[in-house]
Amino acid sequence: MSGLTTPEAVAELRHELRTPLNLIIGYCEMLLEDATDAGQRGALERTLAAGRDVLERINATVPPTRGEISEADFAALRDALREPQGRIVTATTTLLAADPIDPQFERDVRRIRSSAERLLTVELPAPRGDRSVAITIEHPTGAPEAGPPVRPAHILVVDDQEDNRAVLERRLRRQGHTVESAAGGLSALEMVGRGRFDLVLLDVLMPDLDGLAVLERLKADQATRDIPVIMISALDDVASVVRCIERGAEDHLPKPFDPVLLRARISACLEKKRLRDIELEYLREVGRVIQAATAVEAGSYDNGALAQVAQRGDELGRLARVFNAMANQVRAREDRLKEQVAALRREIGEARQTTRQPARRGALSLPTGELFAGRFEVLDEIGSGGMGMVYRALDRELGEQVAIKTLRPELLQDTSLVERFKSEIRLARSISSKHVVRTHDIGERDGIYYLTMEYVEGITVRELLDTRGRLGTAATLAIASQLAQSLVAAHEQGVIHRDIKPQNLLLDGSGVLKVMDFGVARLAGGNANLTEAGMLVGTPSYMAPEQMLGEAFDERIDLYATGVVLFECLLGRLPYEANSAVALIARVLRDQPPVPATIDPEIPPALSDLVVRLLAKDPAHRPANAGELVRLLSDLG
Amino acid sequence: MPKILLVEDNEMNRDMLSRRLQRKGYEVVLAVDGLQGVAMAGAGGYDLILMDMSLPELDGWEATRRVREAEAGHRVPIIALTAHAMSGDREKAMAAGCDDYDTKPVELERLLGKIEALLGKQA
Repeated sequence: MSGLTTPEAVAELRHELRTPLNLIIGYCEMLLEDATDAGQRGALERTLAAGRDVLERINATVPPTRGEISEADFAALRDALREPQGRIVTATTTLLAADPIDPQFERDVRRIRSSAERLLTVELPAPRGDRSVAITIEHPTGAPEAGPPVRPAHILVVDDQEDNRAVLERRLRRQGHTVESAAGGLSALEMVGRGRFDLVLLDVLMPDLDGLAVLERLKADQATRDIPVIMISALDDVASVVRCIERGAEDHLPKPFDPVLLRARISACLEKKRLRDIELEYLREVGRVIQAATAVEAGSYDNGALAQVAQRGDELGRLARVFNAMANQVRAREDRLKEQVAALRREIGEARQTTRQPARRGALSLPTGELFAGRFEVLDEIGSGGMGMVYRALDRELGEQVAIKTLRPELLQDTSLVERFKSEIRLARSISSKHVVRTHDIGERDGIYYLTMEYVEGITVRELLDTRGRLGTAATLAIASQLAQSLVAAHEQGVIHRDIKPQNLLLDGSGVLKVMDFGVARLAGGNANLTEAGMLVGTPSYMAPEQMLGEAFDERIDLYATGVVLFECLLGRLPYEANSAVALIARVLRDQPPVPATIDPEIPPALSDLVVRLLAKDPAHRPANAGELVRLLSDLG
Repeated sequence: MPKILLVEDNEMNRDMLSRRLQRKGYEVVLAVDGLQGVAMAGAGGYDLILMDMSLPELDGWEATRRVREAEAGHRVPIIALTAHAMSGDREKAMAAGCDDYDTKPVELERLLGKIEALLGKQA
């Protein structure tokens, strides 16, 4: 770039500069002829003086004899014009502030001011006299003004002066933007309401609705508040600028604009908007993920809800994808669990239709229809076991049904044993789980110790197995996961059941499993070894090797027992069968457990393996705790 | 009252200059471009023409030449007005057939002096 222009271009430049100057001086002199008010005269004289200064500076830089001008000279000239031009703007602002104001006078002053504004918008004409070619003006970054904009935008120009609109429109289009313009505040609001603008350039002084009022309305409306607004005004005193910024304007551009500055400010503004849009979109998508999380909790997650967010290439996209996958897994698991419980319910339904075993009457029967212990109306006998009988009764004090379990007197001969039993029951009562039958109380009546507990209408897994023979994989898993959850709750409280077996697992009509007799088993000999009489209560079939041997044991004996229960559910038989208790014990201690999947190939290998692991003789080879069992079952589906 | 034809495309310039001249006792008739200016000058009746040189369609130089070509006998004085104000413009204006030349921004007193001088010659 030569930086020099042709003589024709210089002539054109002089014309461009002197034409507005002609108007400034001409109107000013004319108005001075009529002005009588001293203040008015003063302002007009200041305007005129400033106009003459402008002329002087133009002539100094571009004398009539000069055939060329460098870009640097031109830039210096424009800088030199700023000061007198500013004086004109200030003086005319004073003139326009008159109230009342003669309309003709006001129009003339506005023409003076718009001419002054035009002064600084004049560009260096193109070399070779080609007026249609964009003008290149060197500015600090070296990028041409006419170069492609950072981001083409749709811009609304609002100015009541046609000249100003035309100049701005031309300039913005040249920078690659699309432009619409409005001649007043009201039409601007209407256009913003209709169109999608990336930016609004808003004049402050307008007759119908001024720029500040337009700005306030734009910022008060949810739909338009995010559109950045740059105020354009000849009022560039600090107070005016502050007013604009306080009302939410993004920026303030003093008139007349330097094209380079205009371009820079607009670019900065659009870039800020772009970043803000990205940020808002990001927050919206974070909102979607949070919403999805809530939906998962509520069980209403829609699989495609995060599809859009998941397409992002950033961390949020990754989060959405991982979340989606997890949510799908959770849902699949829930679905499987529902299927399993449904299968279990079918088994229960079948079992009920087949048989309802009449309870055997034992020696310790409580007479039905009579009041027991002053508050329980015995309704019927619902079970019997090694420890005593179980009855259904109405608790007259609470008005609800309870189960009463009587305990054989010989189990509680020792008072210290009674005390230990009571403390064990108190501890068991602290377990909170819907899969644990709640124990209410322990009492004694006429030498008979009894427990009252939550009454569950249903059947035991024992009864279910006795009628169905064996259960399918799904029903077994439904039992397994619920049993494991009850163990988690109990073990958390430090309570080991010690006697997990099908007789202690109650199923209500909806397939919910509840484990009973937490804290009771100790009475039956958990504290004793094989040689003591209590050991013979119940069956050793579900007993872990370490428990049989009287060794130290922990909650993993319940996991072993769970393994036996699951084996029995799947295959309808126990892992070890023998003709006597002693032979059975020998087998438990010696033999490797059979692998369920080799007995029935229909059983999923992973489930089969888990059962084998639960039956490990060394507790260290079983799952570490009930929580791990829950996870393993969940992974099995 | 002397009648002046002002040929000027810029609306504000027309407004400003015509009002100032009217205040000084001239009747001002307006033409907004070169073609209109030539046509109106051809119709006659003007004591003087103020011709802006930068006009759309037909510029002031060419318009002046056409006015002169169309004239038979009576020669209406023409003052060229230009904001270019380059050296050589004056000569160029004279060559095109103008009687005088002035620059924008207009110094009214100076312009009035030139107008009066030309009208005096006429009278």
